[in-house]
Amino acid sequence: MQPSEGLMEVSVIGGYLGAGKTTLVNHILRQASERVAVMVNDFGEINIDQSLIDSRSDNTISLTNGCICCSLVDGFVSALESVTSFRPKPTRLVIEASGVADPGAVAAYGHGPGLALDAVVVVTDAFRLCEQIADPLIGQTVVSQIGAADVIVLNKIDLADNLTAAKTELAKLNPDALLAYASHAEVNLDLFFGREVVRTSDPTSHVGKFESRTHESSQPIPRAALEALVENLPPEIQRVKGIVRLAEAPHVAMVFQLVGRNWELRALADRNNSPDGNRLVVIGPKGSVPMEWDNALNSGK
Amino acid sequence: MGDASVKIFTAKKIITMNPALPFAQAIAVRGDRILGVGTVEDLAQWGDHELSEQFKDHILMPGFVEAHTHVMAGAVWEFPYVGFYDRADPAGRTWLGCQTIASVVDRLAECERDLNDPDQTLVAWGLDPIFLKGERLVAKHLDQISTTRPIFVFHASGHLATVNSEMMRRSGIDRHTPTPGVAKDADGEPNGELQEPAAMSLAQDGFAAIGVAMMSPNAKWNYAREARNCGVTTIADLGTTRLAMDGQLEAWRQATDDPSYPARVVVAVGHSDFGSENKDSNPMVSLAVRLRDEEETAKLRFGIVKLVLDGSIQGFTARISWPHYVNPPPGHPGNGLWLIPPEQLADIVSSYHEAGLTVHCHCNGDEAAQVFIDAVETALQRHPRWDHRHTVQHCQLTTTAQYKKMAALGMNANIFSNHIFHWGDQHASITVGEERAARMDACATAQREGVKFSVHSDAPITPMGHLHTAWCAVNRLTASGRVLGPEERISVAKALEACTLGAAHQLRLDHDIGSLEAGKLADFAVLEKDPFEVSPEELKDIPVWGTVVGGTPHVAGST
Repeated sequence: MQPSEGLMEVSVIGGYLGAGKTTLVNHILRQASERVAVMVNDFGEINIDQSLIDSRSDNTISLTNGCICCSLVDGFVSALESVTSFRPKPTRLVIEASGVADPGAVAAYGHGPGLALDAVVVVTDAFRLCEQIADPLIGQTVVSQIGAADVIVLNKIDLADNLTAAKTELAKLNPDALLAYASHAEVNLDLFFGREVVRTSDPTSHVGKFESRTHESSQPIPRAALEALVENLPPEIQRVKGIVRLAEAPHVAMVFQLVGRNWELRALADRNNSPDGNRLVVIGPKGSVPMEWDNALNSGK
Repeated sequence: MGDASVKIFTAKKIITMNPALPFAQAIAVRGDRILGVGTVEDLAQWGDHELSEQFKDHILMPGFVEAHTHVMAGAVWEFPYVGFYDRADPAGRTWLGCQTIASVVDRLAECERDLNDPDQTLVAWGLDPIFLKGERLVAKHLDQISTTRPIFVFHASGHLATVNSEMMRRSGIDRHTPTPGVAKDADGEPNGELQEPAAMSLAQDGFAAIGVAMMSPNAKWNYAREARNCGVTTIADLGTTRLAMDGQLEAWRQATDDPSYPARVVVAVGHSDFGSENKDSNPMVSLAVRLRDEEETAKLRFGIVKLVLDGSIQGFTARISWPHYVNPPPGHPGNGLWLIPPEQLADIVSSYHEAGLTVHCHCNGDEAAQVFIDAVETALQRHPRWDHRHTVQHCQLTTTAQYKKMAALGMNANIFSNHIFHWGDQHASITVGEERAARMDACATAQREGVKFSVHSDAPITPMGHLHTAWCAVNRLTASGRVLGPEERISVAKALEACTLGAAHQLRLDHDIGSLEAGKLADFAVLEKDPFEVSPEELKDIPVWGTVVGGTPHVAGST
């Protein structure tokens, strides 16, 4: 289910005022390994190192890493038109929804010409979530936003005394969404960049919320060791994706994809900045994701 | 004023709205201002004059001031009308309502034949399927008109459009299109109906057409012609972000500077959410201040900022207090939508308030009104300021307690009285229920609690026409003919005051317009009958000759 050639994948970042959407956008601009265009409400909040700015106009900032920021000041459709006409074409569009918007409604634009909708990411404030949900003025807005999420980023966990209540609320409101924890919105982008990650989590299962863990190691891994790792995966794990380098061909970065019990490896095409080493995101129901994979990945050397 | 000559108009009766001299027979004008009001003999003291008996059989009153409309009211007439009710266009031609699918198709086929370029999209507006009996209008009906030219028909609600097969083909809309809102038939094929902006924007060529038309000079002219045809001499285009776009201020200047442009326009700066998270640098504040301080002319005014806080009642998106909606559609979340985070409103209002601007905030629901009233109170605590005239726009469910509070804070109301006629029956049965529907658009409560108020059409949402809007406030008759909330009816005199001085006050123009007295601008509505002589039920049927703007007559229905 790779999007067809030339389609721009669309990620929507939603969440109530103050949850950390713009912080996440800043994080994406720093971490992105592809050419990302972001559509944001306010340039003033975008925190870009001056040295990274290639050029700037009223409504666009071009970065030296190929990313582009586009302001929504002239309206949504107009911004969308200017983003899709950029050359070279960005491979991904990240749309920051307003703090009261229904991100699901924004995501409806993600099926437009030349676009392919990826995940709807909703950022929530771990510190204030329960209070917000109970608020008579904004509770319904927050609940609707959470309901529209494919991925929920529970942000500001460093500020929250007790995550249990927030996690319980989220599990109740959207049991099918993938849950990621973060402070300062620092979250692994592989969690929601790549539409299959989310779509293949079986929406009919109600085992509770999912969690993910990223395993990284620096040394190439023998194919046999990788196969052994997969063999020994707990059966609840439905999804693994990432980049590995095999000991047999360490100069080729390979894309690893596992969906259900099927998996594949193929060479990473046309990506100049492929990372060194191995990085795999393992996604499964909460409590099922193994902790000790880093060692296993490294033990193969 | 360059022209020092004096012109005295006589009339059958002049209604001045000035309590010190309520009625008169003659009015003298020098340049664009009123020199005096009284009798011809009184006014002769100003010396040589030209006596005009042009209006000797007419009633003159202050030109109506419509404080909540949109320039889109002029832009829609770039396209054929296919709505259910008869509607007059700016040239004064009445478009008969299309009361069957066949008549919609006939109307569009006729318009299609007039288009020369075979590739030009045929755009139409005003379709209201709720009134059309039998099956729903879909692509196959529009395909009868053309299978080679794209066709795009906006619905009256603004939330939907219906397109033909050629438009779908050119826009890549097919059975695989995943966009929510692309309606599909039982076989999974799209039927041509596109619901909500994301789906409508797939047919961008049609969807963008009205927005493009709004930027055109012709839309600005048709907007003022529509005003002229119903006796309105000052119109507020309530809320646009387009003023920040290249050429738009100049386009407004060019239109309104033309001596034959038949209206004064107040263009309100629309607050946009963009930038508001950084309240120290709200770019809209400096724009609105600059326009007010440097760009005003006699016929182009600024100083108003428009905020939109919630949605609409009939769309179930207004924020209304408990017990919320009485009969919402399945799956409705229980209450409406915020378009601005409520806890952010006080900071946003403060930023404009401290710059001396007047904030008009769209609040259909009472919960939204409360949040705005609270925000104004906070702004006043932070920065005391007298006579700010911040205004609750639409103000449809505002309660007695809220009106009391608004009076205490010096706030104004602009009440959407046309709703009583257009949707009053639905409000009683479906949206808010009998009791609250009876106190919707509560002009009598506003009057009793001492809130200065106006009434409005929100054109093109409902047709512009202040005699009709005043009629709604006076009679409170719904489309089905029932009186909705008789206790909230107001007198003809009070309704006419709302349509003149009331609106002028909230636009901060009551020193210049809204009544006929020496020193004010010579802006008149010219009526064929006396609103105080006809029965209140006939108020809306009084024919309008046209207007006088700055001393210059403009006859209705001309181009």
